[in-house]
Amino acid sequence: MSALHAWLNLRGRGFSDWLSAWGRVFGFVMTALVGVLSPSTYNKATRVVVQKQIYFTAWQILPGFAFFAALFSILIIEIVGSTARKYGLYEQGLELLIRILVLEILPLMTALFIALRTGAAINTEVALMKIQNELDAMQRIGIDPLRLELLPRVVGGTVSVLALTAVNIVVALWLTQLLIIDFHPWTLTTGDFTRMIGKVLDLPALIVLWSKTLAFGFAVTVIPISEGLNTPQKLFHAPISVLRGMVRLFFSLMVIEAAALTIVYV
Amino acid sequence: MGDAGENLLARKRVVLLAGDAQRRQLIDEHPEAVLVSESLPLRANLSVLENITVVLQFRTNTYIGEANDSAWTLLSKVGHTACAERRDPDLSYEERFVAKLLRAIVLAPPLVLIDRPAQMLPDTNYPYFLNKLLLALEGRFEKCWILDYEWNAPLYNSRA
Repeated sequence: MSALHAWLNLRGRGFSDWLSAWGRVFGFVMTALVGVLSPSTYNKATRVVVQKQIYFTAWQILPGFAFFAALFSILIIEIVGSTARKYGLYEQGLELLIRILVLEILPLMTALFIALRTGAAINTEVALMKIQNELDAMQRIGIDPLRLELLPRVVGGTVSVLALTAVNIVVALWLTQLLIIDFHPWTLTTGDFTRMIGKVLDLPALIVLWSKTLAFGFAVTVIPISEGLNTPQKLFHAPISVLRGMVRLFFSLMVIEAAALTIVYV
Repeated sequence: MGDAGENLLARKRVVLLAGDAQRRQLIDEHPEAVLVSESLPLRANLSVLENITVVLQFRTNTYIGEANDSAWTLLSKVGHTACAERRDPDLSYEERFVAKLLRAIVLAPPLVLIDRPAQMLPDTNYPYFLNKLLLALEGRFEKCWILDYEWNAPLYNSRA
């Protein structure tokens, strides 16, 4: 009986810790939302940090990542295209391509890549800043670390995810036109392709797409920052903080994707 | 002693403390003071120049060029321009201390507290070093108190 009690106690404490960790994340999400939307957050110093964040997150990787996304898109277009050709389902193949590649895979792939590259870096940096007392040091000289170091990263990271997703979508649509309409003598014309884009990417779909991408961008910065801020001031906690942040981020991205799918298809 | 030296005497004060509790109390009693302390590090991913510049930029919304010029002038005054582009892990104890001090005084605060300089300058004759540094920065701060323990008092009496 006492073993059961101890087990339940342990599970209960674990659940309570899990709940309070998510509570802290949501608390920081609210703070970040208010801060990002507040004009008083921005001055010459914070704008420099935003620019640096956009440079490191989007501009630095743009050619390589766009090339990778293009190769990935060609692969998907060829798989779907050749299958559709085999069964004569040209229109359905085209619709499937736009729905799967443009609306679902590319935004999620971009968010996952930025999460791995930038999210992990932000989580580590904020955790080290917390551990080494740099945040406190800034506060002591009259600098608000939230305004100078954290919110500009949220803005820069979110803008980068939106921009990279947009670039990847444009590249994928251009490749679809090239491979399905121009290179293969299908029965579809450029007009069919344009009409299909108009049909699939209607206003509600676009609203869901960009809301989802915005949520992805916010998540890939806010969750690592929140996790970094909650790191205990001991060096050995740094990798634990990054591990937790990345798991929480992956889970959040999947939840956002599932929520978007539910809105569109259920 | 010249005018600058006499001015410094009026502005600088060595506060000798009996222990850590007294030190903490003194710091708590002066929230307006800017603290230079071992426990308040520089931003590790910024250079010395940027660590000073960012205070000006953030607090007075100064243009980056103007802020850089002010920070460079301060570094020149104390003869440490060579470390301007280096980051915290690449600095010597003296350079790190200078960066922390300049970051603290860049906005001419009413009171600067240098907390236990022995911790920040372990390989230096710090009473002499501090005197020289503060003399070079004469006019950039109102008051500067050096917080040290009583058992280090003889160090401040030496003429070295």
